[in-house]
Amino acid sequence: MKRRRFRVRHSVNRPPTPDAADDQQKQPSLHEIINIKMIESGEKERLMELLKERLIDCGWKDEMQNLCRAFIKKEGRNNVTLDELIRAITPKGRASVPDSVKAELLQRIQTFLVSAAL
Amino acid sequence: MSMPNDDNASSQSQLASLFFEDLLDSIIVDVASEFHRISRLGLDRNLEDEEEELRLSAEARAKAADLSNSGEATSKYVVDIFGQTHPSVANEIFECMNCGRSIMAGRFAPHLEKCMGKGRKARLKATRSSTTAQNRYTRGSPGSAYTPYANSTSTNSTSTNRYSNGTYGIAGEGYSNGTFEEP
Repeated sequence: MKRRRFRVRHSVNRPPTPDAADDQQKQPSLHEIINIKMIESGEKERLMELLKERLIDCGWKDEMQNLCRAFIKKEGRNNVTLDELIRAITPKGRASVPDSVKAELLQRIQTFLVSAAL
Repeated sequence: MSMPNDDNASSQSQLASLFFEDLLDSIIVDVASEFHRISRLGLDRNLEDEEEELRLSAEARAKAADLSNSGEATSKYVVDIFGQTHPSVANEIFECMNCGRSIMAGRFAPHLEKCMGKGRKARLKATRSSTTAQNRYTRGSPGSAYTPYANSTSTNSTSTNRYSNGTYGIAGEGYSNGTFEEP
């Protein structure tokens, strides 16, 4: 596929920086409020570490790395951008999380939601 | 007044799912970026296609074995004298006898470290207990293996009573897979 000559190729696509004026008119949603609470209390990081550990233990990370390897081999080592790689493995990644891991994390999150809403 | 509670519960579980997806996406991005870096820097031997094929064909010729496994995309294959190959990370999944989780065999040792020994949380729980048998065996090193408390929140206290008499770890009784060694 021919690439347009004038477009510079970035390895990572960044979203545009948000305008300060827009932010002040928006009301924060419940999702955002709780997200901030989660981050500030350190719970988000704990949850992330927990999820990482569980996914490594059950072999999910290794599966993902095999997928990456196969994709890169197919496309050519220097032709793959990070974005393409992420887009290629995300659907499989989301689908292959074991149910027990998902249930454990969901329970932790719901506990936090209950305590944060009070 | 059960209707508002039902709505609340389902929107709460929706919110929880949203956060879970968020965490999962971040982890996927982490894994991809780590791997992308390794591949672009040429650090992962497994990615070198031609090298691998050369190596494999040389091995196959040398051992006069006619099994060719170069079609697989996973770990590098070394053919043994029977012509069998093994993946570099053991694949079999079984249950950890301490916390009851399903673990991959190749990931079992690091899991056990966290589950019952080296981990900070595991050690904290152990020091709260005052059994003299444990004090006798503990050498005070961070690698001490005689702290049989899982750091998982899902384990209840009855499972730890199995090990509390301090005989765990002697001659590997009951744990004959041989992967767990005393530090």
